[in-house]
Amino acid sequence: MKLFERSWRATAGAIGLVAGLANAAAADDIVWARYGDIDSLDPHRATSTLSLQVWSLMYDTLLATDAEGLPVPHIAKSWEANADGTEYTFSLQEGVMCHDATPLDANDVKYTIDAAFSETTPSVTKGSWGPISDVEVVDPLTVKLTLDTPFVALIPFLADSFSSIICDSNAGAEGFGTTSAIGSGPWKLVSWTRGDRIVLEKNADYTNYGKLAENPGAPYEDGLIITVVPEPQARLAALKTGEVHIAEPPFDDVPTIVNEGDLSIIVAENTGQNVFWEFAVHRPPFNDVRARLAVAHATDAATAISLIYGDLSIQENCPVSRGVFGNDQEFCAQYRPAYDPEKAKELLAELGYTMDNPLETAMLVWTGGNRQKLGEVFQAQLAEVGIKASIEIMDIGSLNARVRQENETTEGTTGSMDMMTWSWYDPDILHALWHTPGAYRGYTSPELDAMLAETRVLTDPEARKAKVQEVFKYLLENAIHVPLYTPGWEWVFAVRPEVEGFFVAPFVYPNFSDVQLGG
Amino acid sequence: MWRFLSTRILMGALTIWITTVLVTLLIHAVPGDPVQIMYAQSQGTTPEQIEEVRRSLGLDRPIPVQYAMFMERLVQGDLGNTIRGGQPVLDVIMQRLPNTLVLACAAMFIAVLIGVPIGFLAAYRKGSLTDITLMIIAIAGISMPHFWLGLMLLFYFAVELGWLPVSGNGWLNLVLPALTLGLSNAAIFARLTRSSMIDVMNQDYVQTALAKGLPKALVLRRHVLRAGLLPVVTMMGLQFAFMMGGAIVVENIFSWNGVGRMAVEAIFQRDYPIIQGFILTFSVVVVLVAITIDALYAVLDPRIRRS
Amino acid sequence: MSVTPDIEVPKAPPGFLRRLVRSPSGAIGLIIVLLLIFCALFADVLAPYDPNKMGSGGRFLPPSGDYPLGTDEFGRDMLSRILFGSRITLIVGAVAVGISLTIGMAVGMIAAFRRGWVEAILMRGTDVLFSFTETLIALSFVAVLGPSLQNAIIAVGVAGIPFYARTCYSAALVETSKPYFEASIAAGARPTRLVLVHLLPNVMPTMIVVATLGVSTAILAAAGLSFLGLGAQPPTSEWGYMLAGSRDYINRAPWLMTIPGIAIAITVLGFNLLGDGLRTSLDPVERK
Repeated sequence: MKLFERSWRATAGAIGLVAGLANAAAADDIVWARYGDIDSLDPHRATSTLSLQVWSLMYDTLLATDAEGLPVPHIAKSWEANADGTEYTFSLQEGVMCHDATPLDANDVKYTIDAAFSETTPSVTKGSWGPISDVEVVDPLTVKLTLDTPFVALIPFLADSFSSIICDSNAGAEGFGTTSAIGSGPWKLVSWTRGDRIVLEKNADYTNYGKLAENPGAPYEDGLIITVVPEPQARLAALKTGEVHIAEPPFDDVPTIVNEGDLSIIVAENTGQNVFWEFAVHRPPFNDVRARLAVAHATDAATAISLIYGDLSIQENCPVSRGVFGNDQEFCAQYRPAYDPEKAKELLAELGYTMDNPLETAMLVWTGGNRQKLGEVFQAQLAEVGIKASIEIMDIGSLNARVRQENETTEGTTGSMDMMTWSWYDPDILHALWHTPGAYRGYTSPELDAMLAETRVLTDPEARKAKVQEVFKYLLENAIHVPLYTPGWEWVFAVRPEVEGFFVAPFVYPNFSDVQLGG
Repeated sequence: MWRFLSTRILMGALTIWITTVLVTLLIHAVPGDPVQIMYAQSQGTTPEQIEEVRRSLGLDRPIPVQYAMFMERLVQGDLGNTIRGGQPVLDVIMQRLPNTLVLACAAMFIAVLIGVPIGFLAAYRKGSLTDITLMIIAIAGISMPHFWLGLMLLFYFAVELGWLPVSGNGWLNLVLPALTLGLSNAAIFARLTRSSMIDVMNQDYVQTALAKGLPKALVLRRHVLRAGLLPVVTMMGLQFAFMMGGAIVVENIFSWNGVGRMAVEAIFQRDYPIIQGFILTFSVVVVLVAITIDALYAVLDPRIRRS
Repeated sequence: MSVTPDIEVPKAPPGFLRRLVRSPSGAIGLIIVLLLIFCALFADVLAPYDPNKMGSGGRFLPPSGDYPLGTDEFGRDMLSRILFGSRITLIVGAVAVGISLTIGMAVGMIAAFRRGWVEAILMRGTDVLFSFTETLIALSFVAVLGPSLQNAIIAVGVAGIPFYARTCYSAALVETSKPYFEASIAAGARPTRLVLVHLLPNVMPTMIVVATLGVSTAILAAAGLSFLGLGAQPPTSEWGYMLAGSRDYINRAPWLMTIPGIAIAITVLGFNLLGDGLRTSLDPVERK
């Protein structure tokens, strides 16, 4: 395989064309094509899964996740909490090095957390770090976090790439996040051409303490190139010609790919992603639980999913998906409103809606992953019972803003519902979504607040699980958070035959440390 | 000639100035609160921070003051930072603009290379079957949606045959997008060349030259070609702008990393600083190209040269 | 209102319809456009199925007797969707061109009639807008208003204004510069009357040609926006949107992408041919 690249470079301000031969992919570079690009190399500046996947390759985290998605030691070889759950002390591995050959120690951890809470430019995920009030460097290998109130979700958070440790040598560096980024992960940044590609090279000195991979050290291959190819058919073509090794195929072609047998298909499991209906609850019609239940009963998620995603996606019954603490399909199935169009019609009739006088609502869907097609199926299903939904497709950022706007609108009779997606490693996400004031200013109630507050402080896992499931029951019975499915499609990977050792860790983190290009 | 050009340059400057005004106003035309929309994905932002952002963008100030602030930053080459990722907008655009320019130039080259000879041939054989056939092909070419043509080319040459790569910005990647844009514009050039050539051929001096018995080929080369190509040159300026516009669709199909694809992404992501930067850059490029073409025209057309 | 006999009232040149039908492009164009209008008007009657009804047939059925153009990924009948799509397409073309035409003509005629500073401001403004290019204007509009078919139509309509204004201005200028026109103004003729009786009929032929050709441009532009996801939203059977949505099925059901593409191409071709034919039959030079 030969691949010649020319990258066009421009000096800012001038429209000079300087052609240069660059980025020629060597035979031992892994090429991974995705549908979109990262937003930033700075883990404090973005929230997209596409960004997180890249950070997980370049940075380390204090903790890591095992195959089940549970936190395990990584850079922190152990940790302990005080009895109140307000102090956490981490002892770090000795000899961890940043990509610029400076040691990674407690100061780097402090630097990262201080940056997250910066007065001027706080992290966009500041809220998820919890109520941290102080970070103390006890000695170079010991760091102590003090919290205002107990926060059990801190531990799983520290295992996720949101909490990537940023080496303090990045401080004040020109272009941190765009042209430079110093981490300590298995791959080092070579270059990022926005919209086109990220070029990484292996960190030859890497030691893997806890990340899910068989390889205890540096990656086997020298380089990893992550390219952007938005058109699914083009990605498939590139896979077939060998231009790329790993990519998300057009989902409609997956059965054919499986039959042909040349490429193998890997479906991400335990993605932690939860796609659900939620409603603008501060105005009619969805301020009435019956209207929300009608939608839930009219939705045949299983059929819709199999129509659009085949067997690449599964229905989800719980407000947090499989692989996340507290998830229990049987438990949730008892309370999730089942598909029952007759029941939906009855509820609508009680509210005075008929086929001729339908309940009208907007259905907000975010772009990508063929969700607009899924929305189209749901739209048809709702029409069957007399709910007239008009689809509006938007980017996830716009959707977030719009949902909040809709919840803040209390006048009017046209409803608004949306197919929201959240991916999180802990049920604490429900606290963010449904505890007063609520991420989207949506449904809140004192009894729900009380339950959610308890899920944050119960340190005994069994007790916490019981409380979390109480929350599930409440959300399902009141049709506040109606789970639909946990996505597979977006995270289906087609892999060329010469690629060995590729796998996707929980919460859709593809791993390349074990990858070897044979043949 | 200088008078002609200086008028054009003045008009160009006016265009760019009006763009800066419109771009400042753009954010106010957005329904809803733009700052809320822009920072929606960031869960850490408190109302105080939103206010801070509003202040730093100057959105709490009267619009003329905002405009002055915008211009002050603009002359320093600062177009603000992207919402997603917080990078300087100018860098983001400049990294991709050359790709779009290369694509538009390549497409222009293809369009002229195919369109002008066809138009010339049709004019030469005016009224013949060749002429009619060529013009039917041309009108069909204009009617073809280029996003459809692009997809068809992609599926056939890149997906089915696997001849051309689909990612990256190399020369081979350029072939299909440039062909897509070039082919539909070739049809426009063919029609224009034909009618312009026919106009010139009907001129008295050409008719006289032919009547004097000079060989047709010589007359065509000496008199008709040069005069007949003048309107084509003028048209190139407009066509270039058209191709920059067409690039928006074509770049999205062929993963070509240009400003058009960036703009569409930015619209979906409501990244207004990028959209503002894109509109400004686009109009600057179009104005510069138009002025260049006008200068070229001035050099070619003796009437303007003398004035 | 009576027409004074000493002033020549221009009309469409005599026998123009006959010439239009006799020119091959005009005839073919006219047939295609009439056929389209017929489909659009009678889509309800002609369409064998509900265009948005899922599971009318099986999924991905190839073209057959029951489903002449096959079915899509939801088992919706493609023929019905294409037929209803023709309605949307014509509405898009008509409304967008309507916006460009009315505003553009108003600007062009006022500028040509009033001259002086009004003319300077209007026409320089038009020049500036013109150099923005239609694509950029349309894209900016959608960026501000948000994606929807309605906004796409408005965007395309507004984007066309500078071109129509310019064309109308030059056509009107030919008339207002004629001695009789200046004489009428000097004689104190009412402006409304001058515009309605003399200016409008004279610019009309040119504007009809421009508008006919403009319908095809508008349809292409709006379909392009829908293709990018910035126009029509599901389940609208807009052709550009249908085409974009069927990309994933190219290997399994290639007709899903081919058919909307052909539909757009034929429609645009129809208006282009008709516009071409109109120009030839209205243009006194070409008539010879």
